[in-house]
Amino acid sequence: MTLPETIPLLGFGWDDLLFMIFAAIMVGSALLVVIMKDIIRSGLAMIIAFAALAGIYVLAGAPVVGAAQVLVYIGAISVLVLFAIMLTQTKNAPRSLVFQTQAFPAAIASAVLAILIAVVVASTDWGESATRIWTDTRDVAGRLFDGFVLPFEVVSVLLLGAVIGSVYLAKRERGEEN
Amino acid sequence: MLSILNGLSQSLDAYLVLSGVLFAIGSFGFLARRNAISMLMSIELMLNAVNLAVISFGAFNLKLSVDASVIALIVMAAAAAEATIGLAIVIAIYRNKKTPLVDEYDAMRQ
Repeated sequence: MTLPETIPLLGFGWDDLLFMIFAAIMVGSALLVVIMKDIIRSGLAMIIAFAALAGIYVLAGAPVVGAAQVLVYIGAISVLVLFAIMLTQTKNAPRSLVFQTQAFPAAIASAVLAILIAVVVASTDWGESATRIWTDTRDVAGRLFDGFVLPFEVVSVLLLGAVIGSVYLAKRERGEEN
Repeated sequence: MLSILNGLSQSLDAYLVLSGVLFAIGSFGFLARRNAISMLMSIELMLNAVNLAVISFGAFNLKLSVDASVIALIVMAAAAAEATIGLAIVIAIYRNKKTPLVDEYDAMRQ
């Protein structure tokens, strides 16, 4: 059985439906990340936003980046953020005040930024091709270890330095109480 | 009906507008939240928005298509390093000040 070219009654393709679903999930959970009061819940919403974004990467024809998104963001960074949240939760913290006093001007500025980007994107001719290009994973691997091998090594040293530095920063001093 | 939405996933503009919206949400969170870890999560959202823009340019340009994936992977590694250091700094400050709220870090102002 083959699916029809476009969805019956709605008149757009299946890819477009997937794109809209992923985009809606991503924007919705990203909004939840920034407005929810309970910070643990906003950490969990961040995981959902990352997962939807991985779907969008696959839709955009970069499956290896989608897989890396799942591994790095959902697997590593989200867990790190959740651990940090649990280490810094205080029971008597004022939970009602999650926003700074400048939250309202910040909301206006962000809305203006989003509208500005949308206007600029719509009014620019990017010279793009008419359809998406599927990126072959073998080509990505070849480019990563051929033309980009110096940045690859630099970023691996950066990661090593970051991990050592963060262990040094976060570890307790000898003899320090609590 | 709704056929105006046909081809949405085949247009660069849709991806770029989505990325811009995500970046704006992240910048709002960074400017407005009081909790330092919320601010770091908002930074992660902004980095993801930039990555989405890179990937979508790569998806619609034959010459950039492979490079975009490589750049996105490297940005992800840099984001991981940034998250590690940022959270370690927050935990180190929390150990001294006993609060994760950035507006109570006012030792330099007194």
